[in-house]
Amino acid sequence: MAVVLLPGALAAEAGGQKRFEVEATTVGEALRQLSVANLLFDEVGELRRLVNVFVDGVDVRGGRLLDEPLTGQSEVRIVGAIAGG
Amino acid sequence: MATLLPVGTKKGLFLLRSDDDRKAWELEGPLLPGWPVYHAIVDPRDGVLYAATNSFIYGATVHRSSDLGQNWERAEELGLPEESGLKLNATWHVEPGTGSELWLGGDPGVLFRSDDGGVTWNVNRGLLEHPTRENWQPGAGGMCCHSIQVVDGTIYIAISAAGAFRSEDGGDSWTPINKDVAADFHPEKYPEVGQCVHKLLAHPARPDRLWQQNHCGVYRSDDRGDNWERLDGNGLPSDFGFALALDPGDPDVAYVIPEVSGEQHFTPDGRLGVYRTGDGGASWELTSNGLPGRAWAAVLREGFAYDEGGLYFGTQSGSVWSAPHGGGEWIEAAGNLPPILSVEAARV
Repeated sequence: MAVVLLPGALAAEAGGQKRFEVEATTVGEALRQLSVANLLFDEVGELRRLVNVFVDGVDVRGGRLLDEPLTGQSEVRIVGAIAGG
Repeated sequence: MATLLPVGTKKGLFLLRSDDDRKAWELEGPLLPGWPVYHAIVDPRDGVLYAATNSFIYGATVHRSSDLGQNWERAEELGLPEESGLKLNATWHVEPGTGSELWLGGDPGVLFRSDDGGVTWNVNRGLLEHPTRENWQPGAGGMCCHSIQVVDGTIYIAISAAGAFRSEDGGDSWTPINKDVAADFHPEKYPEVGQCVHKLLAHPARPDRLWQQNHCGVYRSDDRGDNWERLDGNGLPSDFGFALALDPGDPDVAYVIPEVSGEQHFTPDGRLGVYRTGDGGASWELTSNGLPGRAWAAVLREGFAYDEGGLYFGTQSGSVWSAPHGGGEWIEAAGNLPPILSVEAARV
């Protein structure tokens, strides 16, 4: 099972749960299972521009992003862009 | 019964409660911490609290709570159809309908309807596909559908900067109602659409009477928006502002909080002042008893509310003020909140 870790703001929207174990072979498959999926993806199914995803510590926006393959040991970490005031 | 003010801020939602004297207020919050709350209401039909919430990371949505903010659920379906080529940028205003329906205004100039208490939202096609849409332009706050009034079988909406529209068939079609409303920033001063309405309200007891604070003046209509009369001057220090409130007991009364100009979004004369008309806009007088005499404040379009008991507004500098109708003393109900985006009033 891959593990998905949510930041605090998203965990609050998921009933306080920060860590999810999911059966998934890609990042996209993992993220779409989450109860907060409609906060990660817009209405046409695109990952929101300021949602960053790291797999085992590597930013996958520079790579295959949603098609990034996962293994049973993968750790997917969602990180919102740092900005605002 | 108590008066409850849902106060939307840039950093979450606060609730202010008072008994009928409206002099002592209890503050609760922040609820939905971290979410900018553009607007929040308590639906008088069932007591459900709705918040139009917008995250710059996680997008635009609507939260709802059946226990006044202890537990929250989020809209499951809310967005624009792919073939429109548009995406939902923000949710701006939630308004109960006359039946069981809810209306939601958003950016880019869109309207949604929910028939399941805010779980799912269907876009209004009549507005999405309006034949004048190509002539609409976003203002500084985006192309927001910020005013929704449902009265006497008619729906009124206003969009910055598309103007005001009226529907008499439940939202299937929309008629522009912008005659004689100025658009000084537009190549054509009085276009059919494109006016920058900042807030539009219908009087609850006299539904053919509409008021609007516009980018270019204050207006009243006595015929459901077919014709508008410009009302600034006559005691108003500026034609510019965002906030507008009415008195449910007197259709000739309206309140505005002017700002210097479109270039200077703060109150004129270095003070915070609410201007009241009691004669349908023919004259205006300053009501500032209790308000700070040295202030450069700003009140946003959703930041002014009214009920039978009084008036309530919140500033971008984080103060909520309350006063009875008719020019009584203003009391600071809360201060030092995050920048206030909206204030509403409810009985709970």
